[in-house]
Amino acid sequence: MTGFATRARGFLAKYWGVIGVLLLWQGWVWAKDLNAIVMPQPLDVVRDLVTNPGIYLSNAALTLTLAALGLVMGMALGTAIAVLAWTSRLLSGILIPLGLIFSSVPVVALIPILARLLGYDVKTVLAIVVIISFFPAFVFTSAGLRALPPGSEDLFRVFGSSPWQRFIRLVLPSAVPSWMIALRLSAPPAVLSAMVAEFLMGTSGLGYMFRQSAADFQTDRAFGTSVVATAISVLCFTLATLAEKRVNARWS
Amino acid sequence: MSPETAINVDHVGMVFTLDDGTELTAVRDVDIKIGKGEFVALLGPSGCGKSTILRLVAALEEASFGRVTIEGQDPAELSRAHRLGVAFQDHALLPWLTVKDNVALPYKVAGKKVDTTRVKELLELVGLGKFAGARPSQLSGGMRQRVSIARALVLRPDVLLLDEPFGALDAVTRRHMNVELQRIWAEDEVTTLLVTHSVEEALFLADRVLVMTGRPGTVAMEMKIPFARPRDPSIQRTPEFHAMADKLTLALEPEA
Amino acid sequence: MRLSRPQIQDLALGVLGILLFLLGWELIGFYKLAGLTWPRFSTVMEYLFDPSRRGLFGRAMGASFSMILGGYLLGFLIGLGAAMLSYTLKPMQPGIDRLASTINAIPPIALAPLFIVLLSREVTGMAIATINVFFVIYVAATSGLEKSRQNHRDLFKVLGASKSTRMLRLDLPAALPSIVSGMKYATPAAFIGAILGEWFGASRGLGLLMVSAMQNFQIPLLWSAVFIASAASLIAFGLMSLLERFVHGRFS
Repeated sequence: MTGFATRARGFLAKYWGVIGVLLLWQGWVWAKDLNAIVMPQPLDVVRDLVTNPGIYLSNAALTLTLAALGLVMGMALGTAIAVLAWTSRLLSGILIPLGLIFSSVPVVALIPILARLLGYDVKTVLAIVVIISFFPAFVFTSAGLRALPPGSEDLFRVFGSSPWQRFIRLVLPSAVPSWMIALRLSAPPAVLSAMVAEFLMGTSGLGYMFRQSAADFQTDRAFGTSVVATAISVLCFTLATLAEKRVNARWS
Repeated sequence: MSPETAINVDHVGMVFTLDDGTELTAVRDVDIKIGKGEFVALLGPSGCGKSTILRLVAALEEASFGRVTIEGQDPAELSRAHRLGVAFQDHALLPWLTVKDNVALPYKVAGKKVDTTRVKELLELVGLGKFAGARPSQLSGGMRQRVSIARALVLRPDVLLLDEPFGALDAVTRRHMNVELQRIWAEDEVTTLLVTHSVEEALFLADRVLVMTGRPGTVAMEMKIPFARPRDPSIQRTPEFHAMADKLTLALEPEA
Repeated sequence: MRLSRPQIQDLALGVLGILLFLLGWELIGFYKLAGLTWPRFSTVMEYLFDPSRRGLFGRAMGASFSMILGGYLLGFLIGLGAAMLSYTLKPMQPGIDRLASTINAIPPIALAPLFIVLLSREVTGMAIATINVFFVIYVAATSGLEKSRQNHRDLFKVLGASKSTRMLRLDLPAALPSIVSGMKYATPAAFIGAILGEWFGASRGLGLLMVSAMQNFQIPLLWSAVFIASAASLIAFGLMSLLERFVHGRFS
């Protein structure tokens, strides 16, 4: 009983803000007696979510697959190019400033250009996620490859290790924490950009579903899509943060 | 001891509760009376709880047993009335303020108008008149400590608390700073509690030295220092000084 | 400021990288390697600086930049205010933290309809920019406010500082480096927010220009609008980096 009370208090301490906003929303709809087409109540949104789980799940699965696949490909590409740049002073000197520039540009703004270049297609959504995940992976891996523990390089030299051994046993492992930061930073934008691309091009997935339901004045479904999108985005962020914590615990 | 007691550490004990729930007694039954205008050094090895005593007098901690009063009042009341001056081992200067503004900080915190002549005089007194506009990062370790001491004195506090103020300096600078502090202190003769682990520093500066040892820490020994003021650095080479230093060193390491 | 030899080399390679990037852009356009929707760099510049389009771009920039600036300032104030509140009233902190991260997790797609209903189409971009900036500043400021050192806090306590004096003279200056870093990372976030918001239904601005150009195959217009947004964001980011350097030098 007391255990329940403490847990309830802990929950309230953490979520009073979120609960408060939801109550305000519900109260505001009641007070203003708003039309459900303009502004659905939280309860309507929950009802649609519970009665039509299939349509939400299938679209969410599609978006999530695209985002995850794009994230993995973008990170792999970014890492590969970072390693390539690491091998040459010339290449790194040219590529790293460009990488920094692109990672501080609103890359989402490139979506219309890419959509036009590659065509309105699911493959374009994937390409957009790849490009958006590429830059953080490249920038952070490059930084990580240069952040060796002090003195460790001398140690490896003294042991007479070959450059390849040095790379595999020293350089690559010391880049892992930075790589995990890139993963954490890229995960939410990957989901977001997948949805924005779907929304703009009207192909498929959550973004498309959102656009359709908004166009058909199914506001409860549009908001339901928002809730699912938020849940996915929180899930990705939480997973990436957990992965980062676990890896960091092993690495340091 | 002068007749009037300024700081009264009245049979104080201090128990900390650690993260795992176990209790740690830092000091036990410490009883110290410091007279008005007296300079007392609390000498002891690290971990004996001497800094805890200073933090109690500074109202940074609350005693578990007994109580600390300054002129009959709770230390917290003195700090609220801006009547305490303090200098820590780490100079604790604000890096974004100039030397002058760091010394003037107590006025601003107290909501008083800055007395620029007082700030200037103090900077001259600590030999940093030319560095008023410099930033702490541009100064040497010894200079930073002088600024920190000037800041402690600027409001003419009732009580001056010095927690290993020269602990981070090299031996030569430290000896030099002791001579300086002695000279600066002589200007005002404010009631002072100095916490240190250096026997020479305690002997050279204080009217009375208290040796704290053990875990939990207690006052193991008390010694009056007879040297007249102002004190010349040469007293540190007298046989008298050496004899007292030996006695204090022995008191610090009873088992040796 | 005198530069060392490696610094000069870095600078030269960086400039070379940018030139190579622009040359690549030009050549891909010239030889139509990426099809007809990839214009030459020179074509885009000509289009962009044509005097007859000064009015078009001027109006779009005016609309977008005022939304970005408004959102940036508002987000900054709310973020800093919330951070100061949660720092002063510690029991509220978990709730404010959770609310902030929940709001941040809601994808802009999901927020847009809410703002369109609650506010208006025109300021939706500003509202999303506000939320993006709010979160970055909130996170930076809460971590910054914890950065005042223990000995400084002790000093202020011994000197008898009131809560507000300590906030003004210790906590805020100590937090300034973190806050300014946050301000730097908030600039692209503000641009992304405003552009996304405009995609969801503004009647003016660079975002609208991008979407309508994309849908109508106005390739040079599309690239010009994206170029303006990216360049402006980059310039703002660069200026913030300079400010950051100054503040880090002085306040830490």
